[in-house]
Amino acid sequence: MTPKPQRSGPILDAPASATETSIRQLIANGKSKAALDSAKDHHKAEKTGASETLLVEAYAARIRSLLDQNLVVEAKSLLDLVGERFPSAKGRLEELRLLSAARGGSVEELLRPLLDPGLSADQRAAIEAAVQNQVHDLAALAACAALPAEHSLRRAAAALQTALIAVTSGPVAEAALSLPEVSHRSPLAPWKLLVRAIACYYRGEDDACREYLNAIQPDAAAARLIPAMQAMSGIKTHGPLTPAARLLAGQTAGNLAALRSALDRLDRTFDGDKPGAILAAVQVSVKECREIFPAKIDRLKQLVSVRCALIGLDRERVSKALGGPAKRDAAFLRLYARGMEQSDDPEELAVACGAWDEFRQFAVKEGWFKANGSEAAELYLHMARVLQKIPGNFLPQIRNSILSRMRGASREDFYFLFPEKLYERACAIDPHFEAFSQWLAWAKQGNGAERVAEAWHRIRPMDLEPVLFLMEQTAQRQAFQTALQYLDKAERIDGLHPSVRQARLRLLTGNVLKHLQQKKPHLAAQRLEEIQALPQSQQGDRPAMLAALRWLICAGQNDQPGITAAAAETELLLQSRVAAELLVYGAAVVSKRNTAMLLRSSSAISPPERTQIPAALARVVALVRDMQGMNLNLPLAYLDEAAGQIPRNSALDTAQLQILGEAGVCAGHGELAYAASTAGLQQGSLTEPSFLLLRAQALPSWLGERRAVCAAAAVELARKQQDQHVLEKAVQILHNFAPGGLSLNPGHVDEVVRKEKETSAFPTQRDSGPDYSGLIERCDCPACRRKRGQAVEPWEEEDEELDDIEMDQILDELELPPDMPPEVAAALLLEAAKAVESGETLDDLFERISGKRRKKGRRR
Amino acid sequence: MDALKILGVAAKASAEEIRAAYLLKVREHPPEQSPEEFERIRDAYETLRDPRRRAREMFLAADPSEPLVSLIAGERAPRRFVGPHPWMEVLKGK
Repeated sequence: MTPKPQRSGPILDAPASATETSIRQLIANGKSKAALDSAKDHHKAEKTGASETLLVEAYAARIRSLLDQNLVVEAKSLLDLVGERFPSAKGRLEELRLLSAARGGSVEELLRPLLDPGLSADQRAAIEAAVQNQVHDLAALAACAALPAEHSLRRAAAALQTALIAVTSGPVAEAALSLPEVSHRSPLAPWKLLVRAIACYYRGEDDACREYLNAIQPDAAAARLIPAMQAMSGIKTHGPLTPAARLLAGQTAGNLAALRSALDRLDRTFDGDKPGAILAAVQVSVKECREIFPAKIDRLKQLVSVRCALIGLDRERVSKALGGPAKRDAAFLRLYARGMEQSDDPEELAVACGAWDEFRQFAVKEGWFKANGSEAAELYLHMARVLQKIPGNFLPQIRNSILSRMRGASREDFYFLFPEKLYERACAIDPHFEAFSQWLAWAKQGNGAERVAEAWHRIRPMDLEPVLFLMEQTAQRQAFQTALQYLDKAERIDGLHPSVRQARLRLLTGNVLKHLQQKKPHLAAQRLEEIQALPQSQQGDRPAMLAALRWLICAGQNDQPGITAAAAETELLLQSRVAAELLVYGAAVVSKRNTAMLLRSSSAISPPERTQIPAALARVVALVRDMQGMNLNLPLAYLDEAAGQIPRNSALDTAQLQILGEAGVCAGHGELAYAASTAGLQQGSLTEPSFLLLRAQALPSWLGERRAVCAAAAVELARKQQDQHVLEKAVQILHNFAPGGLSLNPGHVDEVVRKEKETSAFPTQRDSGPDYSGLIERCDCPACRRKRGQAVEPWEEEDEELDDIEMDQILDELELPPDMPPEVAAALLLEAAKAVESGETLDDLFERISGKRRKKGRRR
Repeated sequence: MDALKILGVAAKASAEEIRAAYLLKVREHPPEQSPEEFERIRDAYETLRDPRRRAREMFLAADPSEPLVSLIAGERAPRRFVGPHPWMEVLKGK
């Protein structure tokens, strides 16, 4: 920026006239043209030395003004004119000459004096100031013939010119910005700061860019870029930008608005179902991305490619719209696999596993992880989880279909379709607890769980879970010897674990019963001694169980005194003859020694003893469960008696009622479970969830709607009380009887509880209990409406009819009579399907098709 | 929680890169100034420092159903190299 003309000192000795003062005021106010016109008039009138000096001053102000407006040619012409007319003023106009030369690009003229040995320090400073503040053409400066090639100014200008081209054309290394040719005292030093600021701007280092810009002197030529760069970095500028600065800002600073809008539009078209519109929007988005954000183009193409594949668009057309296929790398395959695995279609889930396998191979190649790293193991587990989403019978079909199509392919080539192979690979690479746990959970659904548990135990011998599992499995097979060996291992791993602590008593009891079953009472007696040595065998009712076992051992040994003693001891410990007899009977049934103990018939029991049956039953069931972990086979007459006694027996607590109810459910004795649930529901709100669940379990299966409503109410109450056990069981029932789900509001729950409490009688066909039809949202499909006896219009049937493909499949599977044309078979099948849908009888169907009445007695 | 996004690291970032990103984020959001953000950063780091959890994050990081706009979410428009000419025009004072 050119400094404003300074007011000159007094030119004349005489006091300045009013005109002179006015002219100087105009110069000071920047009105150089008016000042020059007035000065000309004044000099024409006065023709004195003072008026000439004032006129030269006015010319100088005018020349400065023209230079400020970049009118260099006009300024230079005027300067030459003044120099010719007023030769004495040449010295005073020297500064303007330098300024004009610098602005006009006449760097030779500007710099030539630098070679003059007689150049004063002031003159040198003036030239350097002009170079710093006025010269913008670095190329001209670098090529200035007036200076030798090795002159520091030329070398600095050349280096700066190269650096400026580099930083504005592409990314540059830090070394290219060191510019040792430009010293910090050089008049070109501001350019060095500018070059570094530009480099920082492109790197996105806005803070550093701002610091470099702030360090540039405001008068320097390089400072002319500061407003533009501030605007480009998002900083508010003072005053408007020049057209060139606006253009630069527009060209360098990208704008994502257009790309964002195109991507938004593409997203919306994906929501629709018009392939043409999608592909057109794809083209626009790709074009915008290529122009605005080329670094994102590969990713966009991958995303679009996967989205199009997921909705089944033609691959060729998509590739064309994208301007070429998407890059197939690990990132793409991961995206594709993620898309496919979110499907419910078994085949797409299998494709997802194939894509994950390909991802694994690419990822290893691209250095995401190592082939045998824990990431690969985790990926195998993930693939196994995806396969588990495929319903059991579909996976073998898919595998067979693929293997039959791919001739020469082995099972190993398609390992990703075999969960066991995936688990094997995962556990071989990273044999950790969760991996084996996941494998075992999967294996438990089919065969081979023991093999998995053995492999787990072999590789991680200190994990308790496989040992417990193997112990349970062997115990179930009654291989108690092996089970006890596993128990020894389990006790060494974690002897305090609840399952381990309970196991020894249970296994030994089971072993006693097995020996009794095998008619080896002496071995049973040995085991019984071992049990008696265990401290836990002396807790609660357990001594009664030992006495009952002794009773059976004595019976096996025909030891009558022993039998009598054991019977007396059992009765004494349980303080109930009925309970003692039930316990021995139960143990005898389990050990298949039914003849060892014959229960009295219920009619032979005295009425006071009968009232004890429910409590005795509850106590025995609990004891057998505790020691043997299994349910007791109880005589039906006693269950009937218990069911009848419960409503009359108010002394039973909730735990007893719960046990009786569960025993009823296990024995398939709905009346007992129902009676227990009725009594339980009267016990208070805390136990309502569990007894509502029991009610749902107790109801006969033909009362599906009532069962579902009771289970739904149990779900709501259990959720409120955070009773996870009841919640899980109730959800399972709800799922079985109301697959579409059923949720009740608090008012409905209260209503269900109230009605169930009021309905104490076990349901019969005549009186099935409360009607909950108002609480159940009914399915509105034509079939369900028809079942309810509601009208179904003909056009509503369309979707339910068999399509051609289904018809062909059915006909392929049927063995048709050899002389029946397929068209007739198809027509008959269609009519038969309609008959089933409408509930038409076989006779009516025959009559409708043949037009004849079917003869009686020929129905099959 | 997208741990990779929170720490701003790529899916295939090394353990050292993850640690460096975590330290940088903690400096940006110290616990005494922004405890909630720090908690998120800490959780993300805990996830990524466990190789198995990191692997799971890596597999689940891709979501094809994510809006396409998320491709440029939080991104600054790239600055274009236009050569020296437009810059020189500004320097000329035009």
